[in-house]
Amino acid sequence: MFQNRAEALALALPAAVFAAIVFLAPVVILLAEGFRNADSWSLVAYTNFFSDPLNRTVFLRTFRLGLIVTAVSAVIGYAAAFAIVNLTPRNKGQMIGLVVLPLMISSVARTYAWIVILGRTGIVNQALQLVGLSDEPIRFLFTETAVFIGLLQLFLPLMILSLISALENMPKDAIPAARVLGANWFQVFFKVILPLTKEGLVIGGTLVFTGSLTAYITPAILGGSKVLMLETLLYQRVTVANDFVAASVIAFILIVMSFAANLLLKRLATARNKR
Amino acid sequence: MTPRVFSPLVLFLVIGFLIGPFFIIVAASLSGGETLAFPPQGFSLQWVAKVFTVESFRESFAISMLLAIGGTAAALVLGVPASYALSRYKLPFGETIRTIVSLPIIVPGIIVGLALLRYIVVPFGMNITLTLFLAHTALVLPYAVRVVSASLNNLRSDIEEAAVLLGSSRAGAFFRVVMPNIRSGILAAFILGFVTSFNQVPVSLFLSGPGVRTLPIDMLSYMEITYDPSVAALSALLAFMSIGIVFLAERFLGFSRYV
Repeated sequence: MFQNRAEALALALPAAVFAAIVFLAPVVILLAEGFRNADSWSLVAYTNFFSDPLNRTVFLRTFRLGLIVTAVSAVIGYAAAFAIVNLTPRNKGQMIGLVVLPLMISSVARTYAWIVILGRTGIVNQALQLVGLSDEPIRFLFTETAVFIGLLQLFLPLMILSLISALENMPKDAIPAARVLGANWFQVFFKVILPLTKEGLVIGGTLVFTGSLTAYITPAILGGSKVLMLETLLYQRVTVANDFVAASVIAFILIVMSFAANLLLKRLATARNKR
Repeated sequence: MTPRVFSPLVLFLVIGFLIGPFFIIVAASLSGGETLAFPPQGFSLQWVAKVFTVESFRESFAISMLLAIGGTAAALVLGVPASYALSRYKLPFGETIRTIVSLPIIVPGIIVGLALLRYIVVPFGMNITLTLFLAHTALVLPYAVRVVSASLNNLRSDIEEAAVLLGSSRAGAFFRVVMPNIRSGILAAFILGFVTSFNQVPVSLFLSGPGVRTLPIDMLSYMEITYDPSVAALSALLAFMSIGIVFLAERFLGFSRYV
């Protein structure tokens, strides 16, 4: 540990001042704008925002999709993480590589693939017509289902990776012990695995939930203006209506959610370090 | 069903779901047909070739490259000293500084882009390219600080104290003793920053001007107008680029230790 305070500040301040000016100040001013009305502080922008049925629909849809994506990725995540943890070390490394791989690909590219798959002449429609389940193309694009699938594909790796590390930290003989003592797989999961990997589940869940909540590309490409989410609504409010007040309200909601999730993560991380 | 049967099936389905779309993009981009389709109609490299002839793709690729390389380099110039101060000094307001520097990772990018447009570009008439550069620098800064800090924390601090005791200046100790030891950490931070910046959409969404937009934004607007496979071809090329970079990084640096 060096003690020289002036030297320390000289090293750290440029980065902090840069982030404060380029980043913090403009964002704070933008958020403040939503609480201003005719030169005084007020919540009018917020009551106006929530009195519009479209805004309420979008707000609720964003939360609903976020929750569903999180829940489904937790179920799939446990199955996948459990399978990966039980592989031989060599195969395990390769599988983790395959899970990480999509995270390195641009989300525009990843989302674009779903147009090819779910479009009118896409694979799913061709298959349905081939089997005879449907005579004419079914519309999958610009539905909540399409947005759900896109988000799930985007964020599932984060859940799997969190659960893999949680499962690896579990005592090795907990599951065999429970099995020997007569627990079925259902009981093993709810009485042994779930309580012991709770933190990993919360970490993965927070990442998936905030990721889905603040997603832009997926709802933009797969939802369009039919299935707006908070970020696409923000973009539309600004570009179509020049409505910066509504944009500020949406920004505030998104930031509060992100911060709440981040605090939760930080608290869990410190709780884990203490033990 | 026992895990023995169940596990391979689950893995097959999950990995298929995660990786499958990527193969479909690759296949669709090799199509001989005029519109986006799968299975591809015939085989040709025409769409891959077309990517290189689209003027706007070339321009936005150059801008994205400039932002990713320049922005990440700038973030490291700011971030390496800050990480050093945070890990080696008794820094006044250390936690506050750490929080401010890592904020750009928490606040959704679209808000940053909008705020910069409204309070910096419009009132001060700031150049869009410069604003994009500042935004991408701020965006990469948290990653730079996190990765370089991790790498500094793994390095024993008594070696540089020894160098100082033996008469080296503090700066000399940093450049001759610390830097060579955290070089691969810095390189890992650079690669992570590059990939993050290059693939970044929301920050740049509001920050586009005449002839100035980043590649992902250009792809988004191109696919709104045209339904040909060239965006698929471009997506596939970019994916191969990212995978190649990360693969090399993992091979030579053990990248995953830092991320």
